[in-house]
Amino acid sequence: MSEDNWEAVIGLEIHAELNTASKLFSSDCNRFGDEPNTNISEVSVALPGTLPVLNKEAVRKAIQFGLATQGEVQLWSRFERKSYFYPDCPRNYQITQLEFPIVKGGSITAFVEGEEKRFFLNRVQLEDDAGMLKHFSSFAGVDFNRAGVPMIEIVSEACMHSAKEAVAYAQAIRSILDYLDVSDCNMEEGSFRFDVNVSVRKKGETELRTRSEIKNMNSFSNLEQAILFEIKRHIALYESSDVVDQATFRWDPDTSRTILMRTKEDAQDYRYFPDPDLLPLILTQKEVDAEKQYLPELPLDRERRFCREYGLSTQQSYLFTADRKLADYFEETVKMCDNVKMVANWIAIEFAGRFKEMGISIWESEIQPKDVGELISMIQEGTITGKIAKSVADEMVKTPGVSPKEIVKSRPEFQPFQDMEKLKKIVEEVVLEHPDTVEAIKNGRDRSFAFLVGQVMKRTRGSAPPEQVNKLLKESMKSK
Amino acid sequence: MHSLSACELHRRFIAGEVSAREIADTFLDRIRRLDPALGAYLEVFEESVVEQADRLDRKRQGKESLGLLAGVPIAIKDNINIKGEKTTCASKFLENFVAPFDATLIRRIREEDGIILGKTNLDEFAMGTTCENSSAHITRNPWNTNNVPGGSSGGSAATVAAEMASIAFGSDTGGSIRLPASFCGISSFKPTYGRISRYGLVAFGSSLDQIGPMAYRCEDLERIMQVVAVPCEKDSTSLPDPAFSPISFEKRFGDGFTVGVPWQFLEGLPNETRALFDRAVETLTSMGAKVVEVDLSILKYAVSTYYIICTAEASTNLARFDGIRYGVRSDRAQTLDEVYDLSREDGFGDEVKRRIMLGTFVLSSGYQDAYYRKAQKVRQLIINKFNEAFSKCDCIAFPTSLGGAFTFEEKKDPLSLYLEDLYTVGANLTGVPVMALPSGFLSDGRPLGFQLFGKQRHDAELLSIGRAFQEATDYHTKRPKGGDK
Repeated sequence: MSEDNWEAVIGLEIHAELNTASKLFSSDCNRFGDEPNTNISEVSVALPGTLPVLNKEAVRKAIQFGLATQGEVQLWSRFERKSYFYPDCPRNYQITQLEFPIVKGGSITAFVEGEEKRFFLNRVQLEDDAGMLKHFSSFAGVDFNRAGVPMIEIVSEACMHSAKEAVAYAQAIRSILDYLDVSDCNMEEGSFRFDVNVSVRKKGETELRTRSEIKNMNSFSNLEQAILFEIKRHIALYESSDVVDQATFRWDPDTSRTILMRTKEDAQDYRYFPDPDLLPLILTQKEVDAEKQYLPELPLDRERRFCREYGLSTQQSYLFTADRKLADYFEETVKMCDNVKMVANWIAIEFAGRFKEMGISIWESEIQPKDVGELISMIQEGTITGKIAKSVADEMVKTPGVSPKEIVKSRPEFQPFQDMEKLKKIVEEVVLEHPDTVEAIKNGRDRSFAFLVGQVMKRTRGSAPPEQVNKLLKESMKSK
Repeated sequence: MHSLSACELHRRFIAGEVSAREIADTFLDRIRRLDPALGAYLEVFEESVVEQADRLDRKRQGKESLGLLAGVPIAIKDNINIKGEKTTCASKFLENFVAPFDATLIRRIREEDGIILGKTNLDEFAMGTTCENSSAHITRNPWNTNNVPGGSSGGSAATVAAEMASIAFGSDTGGSIRLPASFCGISSFKPTYGRISRYGLVAFGSSLDQIGPMAYRCEDLERIMQVVAVPCEKDSTSLPDPAFSPISFEKRFGDGFTVGVPWQFLEGLPNETRALFDRAVETLTSMGAKVVEVDLSILKYAVSTYYIICTAEASTNLARFDGIRYGVRSDRAQTLDEVYDLSREDGFGDEVKRRIMLGTFVLSSGYQDAYYRKAQKVRQLIINKFNEAFSKCDCIAFPTSLGGAFTFEEKKDPLSLYLEDLYTVGANLTGVPVMALPSGFLSDGRPLGFQLFGKQRHDAELLSIGRAFQEATDYHTKRPKGGDK
């Protein structure tokens, strides 16, 4: 079996809850985490006689997303009923869009494995979310707080060919939503989740083969693993002359495999038809254009600016700008100290590494941009060495809220080595104790010089200013 | 007192000639005496009626301002929500459902000091033409208790006909206030779609449903329209037009008007029905109308189009009745699927099930193009034909039904009952305003009505013609003999 002969074809449906004050078709509060069934009214639980009224704020947010992705915002769209019975769906139909969505087309640019790639959207549709089922020991309950929360479903073209591309695409979409402030994109709270369609075909084939759909994932790593799993499974089936059946799965993170939910035979007939309770959604070009003024600098524009303005590499620039708050943090820090390279390095590598285990980003910590700026300034001024700076950084992570200056002040071992007489003495001792090395250096073995520097640093616990050590060593050897 | 028009009752109450309590007692007494034989009401709010009346009397004594409906007793079809009262829709499924909010209509009636008497009987979820599809009991026609009152707003029609309320509200999806009005010898008005808010009306066919008032006299219909025909922000399909305001027939049509009649469509009418219809057209002529022929032969597709669209919409509107949040949950249910299946099996009657199945079928994949989508296209063609017809006339005269009220034994198969809707569904498919007015009596004494369709949003014009018609005729002044000794 050789995976090299095969090409994966992947399409994504991303559900993003909009962060409006109220629900899509009622004035009930749209807020996560409240006591069950407190953000509801007669409309949210579909009491007889209730009717939906469209939330204009949700429409505006959908338009903004369409504009931000260069989609065509439709001046005429409409809502449809999608029928299915489930206890979390109070009307037993969802109000969504199908034939005439609010946005058609669009594209985004993402950075995948060192390369910029463009991915295409098929459409964006406005729809309402369902409630949530809660299982107890002997019964199940339904929390309707989420029922009716506005969402946009962002449907891609089947234009991705690897799990990494799919993840990069999803991350780029999330960045745009975040920059626009149209969605909280909180994956744990389920406000950003995806369904993925995967199929494979022989390289060179143009027709699509049968696809699997994996539903309702809410982490990028699950998305990536699920796609990889399905690609492998499809290829294995084809290689053993078997067939792939069209089916819907869910991803089980515990066993790291996809679990069959239903096959094509039990596919539901949703019986879509236009919702007669709602008028077609008619917009004017003026209304659409008016939303342009609310568009902030978008991730891609910011990425371009970071390269231009700060001289960052494309990779670094994507790394910062993908996360709006991280990019803000970077820019705040650059304001504090002008060595952009060091700022980039300390945020993207040093602190990122230290926070990795905690699973957070530096902007989520209590370390402020001014603290990072202060740390870098201390290095630049020669107050601390790079090596001590790393230890100070460790302390900053451990004792949030304490500034690097205070940390250095309170810890003698972080104090800069200022006693030049003592340093001179140490240097002389080292030179005396290593006559052979000194000899070698004199005969042209420059590399051995570093050994002597290391010895001095060892005895000063790394706190000696390196340039002083070099100078003193050279002087001392000369006098020998 | 019970024979007075709503307008006159209101005037007398305002003038201090009668107290609200006297009005309330009179109507409650009539209901107690007459309704056991008729079954028009599902529930009478005896205590609350007295409270409402006493409050009105205190208001009047205190010289507070009184609303347009002060002193007017009103009955409400039991598919419209009144806060704190049951809304059963005459279905076992909702036999214990208490509405936690007022329909916009009810809010408006309260704001204008109407007295709400109780809830009236209907075909389950407003699906039917005889009022027999009620889980509670049947309603009898006050003119002849062996006959049906018509449906689905049979209870509302019977209560007005028997003077057990001055005005009653029904809902009209395919003729549900006009057919019973005709059968019971009263007037009814289905406004332009969207003129009265549907908020709080339990939906049947959302794009067709329209609440409408029923009363003997057009002036009462105009009075109540002023109160309830207002824009509503809770109903997206509510018209943004300003509140309804009656207009003068003399001013608007004093110089003559044009009535369209689709003569070729009337060829199948039984002789007696045709004779009464012709006489109504003659009356219109005597009022200054010029009669022109209009072509509405497309209405031969109206019944099939209507039954595809209304059942499609109903199949999803009624999906919320699942036994999860409210309504009756079957005791036999062990699993989730059984909660759905058995609750709906036990809770719904045959006609409701039939329509849900039909609606599910016409929307299902593989059949939607042949049925639902085609029906939508035909609906548009019907709208076009109506527009064409209205370019030549101010209103269109039409029968309401083939004949008068039939007995409980006749017409049992669903299809022949569906065909009863032939003359009425066109107004719902097009959304135009329409009124049914008494137009005389058949030789055996059964009342019969006819319809006048109006142009979109020309509700006030249409009602002004209705009022003028009633000035020229006396059919609406006749009362059934039964019970009123």
